[in-house]
Amino acid sequence: MAAPANNNSGCWGIPDVYKHHEQRKICISRPKYRDGRKAKAVKVYTINLESSYLMVQGVPAIGVMPELIQLCALYGVVEEYKPLDEYPAEEFTEVYLVKFQRLTSARAAKRHMDEKSFYGGVLHVCYVPEYETVEDTRLKLQDRRRYIIRAVQNKAREREQKEAVNEEPTSSIRATTSETVINRHDKTSDNDNTAIVSHYSGFPLLPLPPQEYHYYRHTNQHGTIPTEDKMGTLHNAIIDTKRHQAHNSSSSQTSSDRDRGTEQRLTSNQSSAAVRFVPRTTQLENRKRRMEEAVEQSLTDVTMNNEPLIGPKLPEPPKLDMEDVSLNTTVNLIRNTMKQVESVPDLKPVAKKMKPRRRI
Amino acid sequence: MQKMWKKGSTEGSDRFEYLQTLVTEFQDTDSEEAKEQVLANLANFAYDPKNMEYLRDLQVADLFLDMLTEENANLVEFGMGGLCNLSMDPECRHLILQSSGISLVTNCLSSQREETVLSAITTLMNLTTPSSRSEITDPAILQCMLRFSLSESPRLRNLAAVFLQDCCSKEQVARAEQQMQGQQTAVGIPLPKD
Repeated sequence: MAAPANNNSGCWGIPDVYKHHEQRKICISRPKYRDGRKAKAVKVYTINLESSYLMVQGVPAIGVMPELIQLCALYGVVEEYKPLDEYPAEEFTEVYLVKFQRLTSARAAKRHMDEKSFYGGVLHVCYVPEYETVEDTRLKLQDRRRYIIRAVQNKAREREQKEAVNEEPTSSIRATTSETVINRHDKTSDNDNTAIVSHYSGFPLLPLPPQEYHYYRHTNQHGTIPTEDKMGTLHNAIIDTKRHQAHNSSSSQTSSDRDRGTEQRLTSNQSSAAVRFVPRTTQLENRKRRMEEAVEQSLTDVTMNNEPLIGPKLPEPPKLDMEDVSLNTTVNLIRNTMKQVESVPDLKPVAKKMKPRRRI
Repeated sequence: MQKMWKKGSTEGSDRFEYLQTLVTEFQDTDSEEAKEQVLANLANFAYDPKNMEYLRDLQVADLFLDMLTEENANLVEFGMGGLCNLSMDPECRHLILQSSGISLVTNCLSSQREETVLSAITTLMNLTTPSSRSEITDPAILQCMLRFSLSESPRLRNLAAVFLQDCCSKEQVARAEQQMQGQQTAVGIPLPKD
């Protein structure tokens, strides 16, 4: 080991290759009942394997570092990053080390970026706890213990509440079911968001792929307990559920936009304090993209909620006069049919989601 | 999804039944491969605090502890991983301590597999309570940690450092260091300069 170079920061020194960076062989011999949706290796996850440090392999060597970090920033505040030039990489690819501020962000980033294509390459993302300092490791363990204690306490409280509900069923059943419906609706957007949104809430996230834990999702009956998000602080998750519901139920676009604005300001403040190496241009680009995405999302939100649109409407297409009563009737008929056809796909996905799926 | 929506209130018992099926399969199967898979499944379920209660009821902590004396290194690794996950919960910690888990876990510190050793160190830290502290800060364990703290592997080094700093007193560490120095000159392991 080169002692002087490694002295200042053990974690940013010369990288070693560890066995746990490799992708393990997936298991194909599981019986149906315990075979998940995603092919996985036989492996046990513990807190020791997780880390807020991620290694991203398979990044095409075409100068897309800013884009990669922007992608990472979708999942949480990136504290530090650097290319690992010395790390053995496949030809024409690069390897990056990314340190997130929080473990939950790293977890979300890994889950959503691993094995995804990126500028023509396929990323391999793994935790690299060997880059942690002693202090990082200590905090990681403390956070985990605290989280477990709180989660277990919450569950006990939830059970007590449930028992109380059972004692006086008439009054509360209706409330519970309606809440479940709302929550179901939330869930369609993916409950993993809780982890991500809770600490990087500058913009609504892109829709995420379906999750493999699907079956054992928590039905969040009381609306305060965080869902499948396995770690991550509870109070954030609580705030998030509330906001999530507020988003869905708020009827005016303007108010949610205002919300978004303040959130954005908050995050940009936060990130300017925490992100050290992101160049100004990248930050601007990030912000611009976020704004665009926010607008896009808010538009889709409106159509999804099937609410009346507020604001100027598009001009009606000019009505053709065919100078013949019969022809005009036909034109009107065709126009109305076209309108109906156009309006159908807007409604369909909502109807589909609400309809209970039949299990075969 | 639909299933859960409909049976929201019985979701917990569904999960319990599923975990019970896993435990039953683990006990009934003769296939080593199936055993490993189910054990890994259970150990991963132990990561989620929502399952703690059910895993406690199913006495999975004892199941994990039983695995630590297996010959199959995979079973030991997965069982140790499961204990590492379970021991985060105070009630499970109590169960593990009652089943004299400390000595079983301590034996895993000499495993050839890094993952097993790391799980063992974290578990020992999780198991530390006022009443168990004296057993966990046994000089033999401290010497082990001191050796790990000089390891090439940063993960092992870091975790051992956290153990030495958080679980025992400076005097205990100093005493263990002294004892080790005697041994080390005999064995010829070099000490770091600073």
